[in-house]
Amino acid sequence: MKQPWWKCLLTLHGFLFLFFVYAPIIIVVVYSFNSHPINMMIWKDFTFDWYRSIFGYPTILTEQTLYVESTDQLVAAVKNSLIVAASTTFFSTIVGVATALAVYRHQFRLKPFYQGLLYMPMVMPDIVLGIALLVFFVGFSIKLGLISVIIGHCTFLISYVFVVVSARLAGMDDSLEQASADLGATPWTTFRRITLPQILPGIIGGALLAFIISMDDLVITYFIAGVNSTTLPVFIYGMLRRGIKPEINAIATLMLLFSFVIASLGLYFRKRS
Amino acid sequence: MESKRENRRLIALLTPGTLFLGIFFLGPLGMMIVFSFLEPGLYGGVEWNFYHWNYGRILGWADGEWEEFDPVYVEIFLRSARLAFTNVTITLLICYPAAFWVSGLSARWRTFVVFIVTLPFFVSMVVRLFCWVLILRPSGFLNIALLGLGLISEPIDIIYTETAVLIGMAYIMLPFMFLPLYASIEKLDYSLIEASSDLGAKPYQTFFRVILPATLPGIAAGAVLVFIPSLGNFIVPDLLGGAKVLMIGNLVEQQFLSARNWPFGAALSVMIMLVMFTLIVLYLRRIGRSELAR
Repeated sequence: MKQPWWKCLLTLHGFLFLFFVYAPIIIVVVYSFNSHPINMMIWKDFTFDWYRSIFGYPTILTEQTLYVESTDQLVAAVKNSLIVAASTTFFSTIVGVATALAVYRHQFRLKPFYQGLLYMPMVMPDIVLGIALLVFFVGFSIKLGLISVIIGHCTFLISYVFVVVSARLAGMDDSLEQASADLGATPWTTFRRITLPQILPGIIGGALLAFIISMDDLVITYFIAGVNSTTLPVFIYGMLRRGIKPEINAIATLMLLFSFVIASLGLYFRKRS
Repeated sequence: MESKRENRRLIALLTPGTLFLGIFFLGPLGMMIVFSFLEPGLYGGVEWNFYHWNYGRILGWADGEWEEFDPVYVEIFLRSARLAFTNVTITLLICYPAAFWVSGLSARWRTFVVFIVTLPFFVSMVVRLFCWVLILRPSGFLNIALLGLGLISEPIDIIYTETAVLIGMAYIMLPFMFLPLYASIEKLDYSLIEASSDLGAKPYQTFFRVILPATLPGIAAGAVLVFIPSLGNFIVPDLLGGAKVLMIGNLVEQQFLSARNWPFGAALSVMIMLVMFTLIVLYLRRIGRSELAR
């Protein structure tokens, strides 16, 4: 049977859509291996030099193009990002899961208020939350640094974990939990043996996605990071504002790879739950 | 006895989240609102006096004695709203047919395509925009490709125009539009479409009278989720719009990081927040809260 013309058009649109989403990413990855030192968009040879250069190894290009600001700054930014993302994930996962359990396993009058409160940070524009936090920290003389960034990230990632875990809790049959309680198990035992195993994939998925969102956040961090607590996205943003350098290609490619791996794992676990 | 214990458990579970969000989320928002009513100090600080001219400067009741009313702020606000609305339209036009295409695929491909469309959402905005800087700048990929193909004889200027800003915005907001649209299109009852065409409706009639109304909740959710972050975005206009396309977010950023007029920046930011609240309330009134839980 012949396909109607509009179905062919729809398929074509679908492929163009995927092309639009992935072509820019592929271009950056491919050109991060281009050795042309003057115009990085004219293909010359395959090289690992930009990758060598961001890690501070000598390259044949070192003499003409001492581009990267300083490998130390880059390493410090990566380190800050990892510290922030790990602490944020740890804290927001615990608080997010606890809040989700409270809201979706108990009946109380303020329930709609809590649901509203937890959705709010997710719809709040980044810039509003960023400057509100800046005003708050400066107003209370809290030093801008890693701690302020961690606190800032937690405000919206608690919500993120909450949403992922509560989707699981809401869709889960609670008859097993009821049965466990009826058979005399303590609430803690019921949680540990019945609830936790069922929501664990959701928790792991939520935590991984929270980790990568924290690693990638630019706007909120931009406002509340102190001088010595620059994270990787803020560092790259600063580099971009001063001019495009081939090393950014290599850094961007590594970040893409890292985000893709962590986010794939996170989405896989969230799906499984 | 049992309920007392249950209550204690509930309080224990709720306390950390309540304290944290109360202090570090509601607190800062409240403080920002307070700041927006304070007098800017001479050297970047604030004076603790009630001062509504911050809003007067933007909305027009400043009398020129304390603060000048400057229509430029309203202009920037309207430009941001126009760009955000255009972005909603662009992403809708791209994602609606795309979501239809995906919902017609086999189950395995469907899962896979939704996955790869979601994936870039988790890549840092700065990296995704950097891709477009490389493509659009004068010596960028697009110009080199077009010159190489002989389609143009001189590099064209796309970067630092509104077009570039709109391309970048659409690119980073695509998942926000695609996912709610897909969720509502996937739920579409195909027997209704068949019934409509069996009863003699033309395809466009079926579309406008059956498909479109049924997917309206998804369209509304996508529109709200794209409009809100587009309105306050300052990274896209900064990287792709240069100094030529100033949006409300850039103005807020300048007030905080270079002009150092915090109360005025806070007032602008409160206005972004008000637009957001209005949209959310309208959305919840019309569509209901179940759709927001993606």
